[in-house]
Amino acid sequence: MNKRRLLIALAVLAAVVVAGVAGWRLYRSREAVPVTSMVDSTQAGVRAMTLWFADDSGDSLVAETREMLEAEDLHGRVSTLVAALGQGPTRRGVAALPPGTTVLHAYLDDTGMLTLDLSRAFQQGFRGGTRAEELAVGSLVRTLGSNVPEAHRVLVVCNGAPIASLAGHVPLDQPLDLQDWP
Amino acid sequence: MKAVARVLAVALALTAAIAVPLAQRSRAQESAPPSVARPVAGPLSAAIKQIDGTPCVGANELARLLDGAKYWRADVRKLVIRANGHRITFTADNPIVLLDDRTLRLSSPVRSLGGELQVPIEFIPMLPRDSSESSQGRLVVDANGSRLRLVPPGGYVGSPRITVEPGETRIVMSGEGAATAAVTGRDRAHLRVRLPGVFAGELPDSLDPAALVSSVRRVGTSDAVTFEFAVSPEAIGWRLDTQPGRATLVLARSGAALQPFAPESPAGPRPMRVVVLDPAHGGDDAGVQADGAVEKTLALDLAKRVATELERRGVRAVLTRADDRVLTTAARAEIANRARADVVVSLHFDGFQSPRARGAIVYCPAASFAETPGDAASGLTPWRDVATRHAPQARALAEALATSLENAAQGPARVRERLTQPLLGVNAPGVTLECATLTNAADRARVTTEAGLQALAVAITDGLLAWQRHE
Repeated sequence: MNKRRLLIALAVLAAVVVAGVAGWRLYRSREAVPVTSMVDSTQAGVRAMTLWFADDSGDSLVAETREMLEAEDLHGRVSTLVAALGQGPTRRGVAALPPGTTVLHAYLDDTGMLTLDLSRAFQQGFRGGTRAEELAVGSLVRTLGSNVPEAHRVLVVCNGAPIASLAGHVPLDQPLDLQDWP
Repeated sequence: MKAVARVLAVALALTAAIAVPLAQRSRAQESAPPSVARPVAGPLSAAIKQIDGTPCVGANELARLLDGAKYWRADVRKLVIRANGHRITFTADNPIVLLDDRTLRLSSPVRSLGGELQVPIEFIPMLPRDSSESSQGRLVVDANGSRLRLVPPGGYVGSPRITVEPGETRIVMSGEGAATAAVTGRDRAHLRVRLPGVFAGELPDSLDPAALVSSVRRVGTSDAVTFEFAVSPEAIGWRLDTQPGRATLVLARSGAALQPFAPESPAGPRPMRVVVLDPAHGGDDAGVQADGAVEKTLALDLAKRVATELERRGVRAVLTRADDRVLTTAARAEIANRARADVVVSLHFDGFQSPRARGAIVYCPAASFAETPGDAASGLTPWRDVATRHAPQARALAEALATSLENAAQGPARVRERLTQPLLGVNAPGVTLECATLTNAADRARVTTEAGLQALAVAITDGLLAWQRHE
């Protein structure tokens, strides 16, 4: 009977030791491996990007910084930013950009003017008044200003054609100066 | 023996049940894709942590402040940051750092902690100047060593200090770029001074009653700080003295070498013979729709009610549309200009994605436009932006309307400076008034009743008349 108890105790001890080793390995792996090392990112860089979303109350924009894979060119970078704005925030706030908005073309000239051609959804998907329109444009312009420092002005066009505004509130017929959207 | 074997089998099963999932989780984490949506700290600074007595900053945060891209080599545990044309290579648990083609040795190793490489702060001064300074700013360690900050190109702007002296009031504004400070608005009620940099101070809670300034507020701009002062009528002029690190605005009761304020309207009531009311949207364009409330219908109903109230009080009111029709922006402006409007109010009802958004917002053209008109080359204001010529009056109108709405429990009401589309080409003081937010249940309930809409119309009329009386 004593021998049996001894074996049970040994077995339980062995289980505890094995579980402890596994737990220790897990802890070590968490401590030793940087977040960015989860895969070998030799081919693709990771960069911190600042995205601007609308506050829940619609009174202002709120910033959210995310680590995102670096795009190879301007079009890729702007497309990634616009897609992230469309997906909405992971913390507080709401997406200000009309749903389904994508980048068709992005062109930066020598004077720092970024011409941004957005899909038809940018205009068709918009619902709201001046507040929503101001925050949608502000979200876009401030995000570009934060992450594309070579751009100083943004001209927004929709499906290849100029637009007067999203829904009659904030003029988009002329380039927007990034400094006017603090 | 059978019992012993059973016990051992159970123990092994238990072990497997605990250990295998743990090991699988560990492997799964090692092979998971990089976190591309991980929120990190605020945009302008990073915490400095003490690790075994060595002050360090996280490599992810450092890359963010340098606006660099990170490349991780898991096999050799090396992190490469590429920023501003430079390449920095850190190795976990190693004091050697490669900076372009140079090899640097830190007194402490780069540590791996909390899933992130930690870089000793002694590395920061080793960064080449063109790497640690960019168009976004430059990296500096706080005086108390607790944060690594990206100081903007213009540096920080401190709290304005106001001193009252016999005959004058001096407002001292400090900042690295203070030598380039400029007055951007000369209107007495909105005297504006702009300094490059980011505001890092506090506005005064109260002002000396003897001061020639009655209020101070800050107007947001992305790369600069603009202070707006409301100046007492006793001041006859202003002067801005600038020197490195300091700009002093002098407001004086008398004296020479003073700049005048912008021309003010004559004393007495403002002329308000014709008010043009512009009900938003119309025809195919319904505007905001929420739970049966339709913006174009409410705006037209409200405009008619305000017109009736104004006529009752002796003011002529003109509507840009009196029925459900489409009007272009140019057509609305033409109606207002042909009517020789003294005031234009574009009436809207707001909507937003979140039901928490509520209240009214009054949009007016930015007052600073009035001092920097139009195309710099010609010095002319494009006709499209002609409403900005009336920006100070429009700002006063916006504040009068917001106050009136608040007083009539139609708020919260805020004022924002932006030239909106309905005011393009309007040659008069004008505002776009978002009267309430239809996507908010309480606001909608208030303005969709006859009594509620009438109360709103009275509040708007009261606001217009208060503006006329300079209240």
